[in-house]
Amino acid sequence: MNEGETLPEPEKGALPLEDVDRLVELLAESGVGEIRIRRGELEITVKAKSEAPAGSPVEPPAALAASQTATPRTEAVQEPDLAEHPVERNGSQHVVRSPVVGTFYRAPAPGEEPYVEVGDRVGAGQTLCIVEAMKLMNEIPADASGEVVEVLVENAKGVEYDQPLFRIRPEG
Amino acid sequence: MISKVLVANRGEVALRVIRACREIGIRSVAVYSTADMDSLHRLLADEAICIGPPQAAGSYLNIPAVISAAELSGADAIHPGYGFLAENARFAEICEACNIKFLGPASSVIACMGDKATARRVAAAADVPITPGSDGPCRSSAEVRRIGAEVGYPLVIKASAGGGGKGMRVVHAEDEVEAAYVSASREAGAAFGDGSLYAERYMEELRHIEVQIVADGRGRMAIFPERDCSIQRRYQKLVEETPAPELPEEAREGMKTAAAALVGSLGYEGAGTIEFVYSGGEFYFIEMNTRLQVEHPVTEMVTDVDLVAEQIAVASGEGLSVAGNVPSRGHAMEFRINAEDPRRNFLPQTGPVEFYNPPGGPGVRVDSHLYAGFKVTPYYDSLLAKLIVHARTREAALRRGARALDEFAVAGLETTLPLHLAILEDEDFRRGGVPTTFLAERELKSDGRGLLRLSTAGRSSPPS
Repeated sequence: MNEGETLPEPEKGALPLEDVDRLVELLAESGVGEIRIRRGELEITVKAKSEAPAGSPVEPPAALAASQTATPRTEAVQEPDLAEHPVERNGSQHVVRSPVVGTFYRAPAPGEEPYVEVGDRVGAGQTLCIVEAMKLMNEIPADASGEVVEVLVENAKGVEYDQPLFRIRPEG
Repeated sequence: MISKVLVANRGEVALRVIRACREIGIRSVAVYSTADMDSLHRLLADEAICIGPPQAAGSYLNIPAVISAAELSGADAIHPGYGFLAENARFAEICEACNIKFLGPASSVIACMGDKATARRVAAAADVPITPGSDGPCRSSAEVRRIGAEVGYPLVIKASAGGGGKGMRVVHAEDEVEAAYVSASREAGAAFGDGSLYAERYMEELRHIEVQIVADGRGRMAIFPERDCSIQRRYQKLVEETPAPELPEEAREGMKTAAAALVGSLGYEGAGTIEFVYSGGEFYFIEMNTRLQVEHPVTEMVTDVDLVAEQIAVASGEGLSVAGNVPSRGHAMEFRINAEDPRRNFLPQTGPVEFYNPPGGPGVRVDSHLYAGFKVTPYYDSLLAKLIVHARTREAALRRGARALDEFAVAGLETTLPLHLAILEDEDFRRGGVPTTFLAERELKSDGRGLLRLSTAGRSSPPS
């Protein structure tokens, strides 16, 4: 809970929606399970929905890794099964997908700072990364504004068309 | 030594190349659009990379995407299949620049023979008979009129940059030239990005006969038995066979010798097909396709040669496994099964294939990417499957073809299967040697039992 934040006195009998919104935000940001506020006769409780264990990274498609063992069966494993993708579990997140095939770079050039880190707020149109194809550095823009929740690909790894690159929690 | 081939194509030809790679023992990389997520070529390749959206311009025709996929996968060669980038000289050049072996001839040869007007000049220079007509492109309708005065009417105006009937107009008299020239050029520009045209004598009745070659780029070449591809609808081939029926030996030898001379003059590497028209006892060079052709399986059936394996061997520096005039055994025919409804003016079909059971048995081959549950989409050409039959004689091949077509079950969408059965029952087709006007001169009718029959004007349908 953000210390020092005060909420305006609610009108008698009114349900201040903006305040509830703010409570929900605070809940998500802080990661606590429940916030309860009482003011006079009004009590508001906001509880977090129980989520699947956080922190399990999305596995990048194995398509681009050449198999180490020569098996006669094919190993055409590509796009992660969408049903298992975290987007399904948390519908308020937006996935930025690669519009080109190429190599994913987090920074404009070697040795420079990455364009974005987890936690950064980005605006729609802001460059998130580069995907290089045939020596062309394609700057990939965010197609939604919000907070970068997860970077889904390792630096300098190959990406396919439509491969998920970033998860963004949309705002505004 | 090539160790990993990226197949820059889809559907049945991508499968064809992947199969050859597996037999040779080299790794294959499939590229696919999001519409082809469930495609067999993606599933059978050793590796697969999604390169773009359904629209070919963003995926299969997207050169940076294909090259990027090759670089990511470490492919040292690209097989372009047919269509898409197969005869794109710029693509071949980019492969050369990126040190990726393009499975085909040099980009300069593709550029040269890809321009049909230039190809005529090259053929003439190699003493190959060409249809009387313009020497190179006609830069104006006035030039076409001049050609008309020289070789006579009717004339055909054709696109230099492509085929399949696009940018093609027949003119019967001088006063038709202007309008035809303008409209053909516009159509060619839209279809091929290049509106240039050439003109040649139009032959009313002709047969389309072509010769397959494979050359190693070092002077060795294999010349295969000719194919007859005269059964066409709107300049798209439907049925092909080898050898060509009812063809005088002299014409056969003449075409094969001419093909060899032309290919020899080019320093050619890879597979290629030289197309002729045969009319009034004479043959004339029309164009050369510097790639594998759709109908290549009929040649494989009668010669026991794996043409894709030859392409890879030649590109690997290993050389051809056959050379000279390759002998053939028996007769083979191919039927292109398209997702089109012959009863409704060949209306394109899309949707899931609900049931799929291809024919089998002796001398039957099916090259197809279909399976039950596969969804046919509207983004690509309508070829679903190629049914190829091989038998000891042409009569036996006709019987085998009818048997196999009858057995071929596809449910969920209409196909051209019934059309092929109707073709096989046609008297003239059975006799062999029909011209390219064969289908256009016939009507498709449903008989009393709902089966399709072909009937010529003035000839009544067989009693039902």
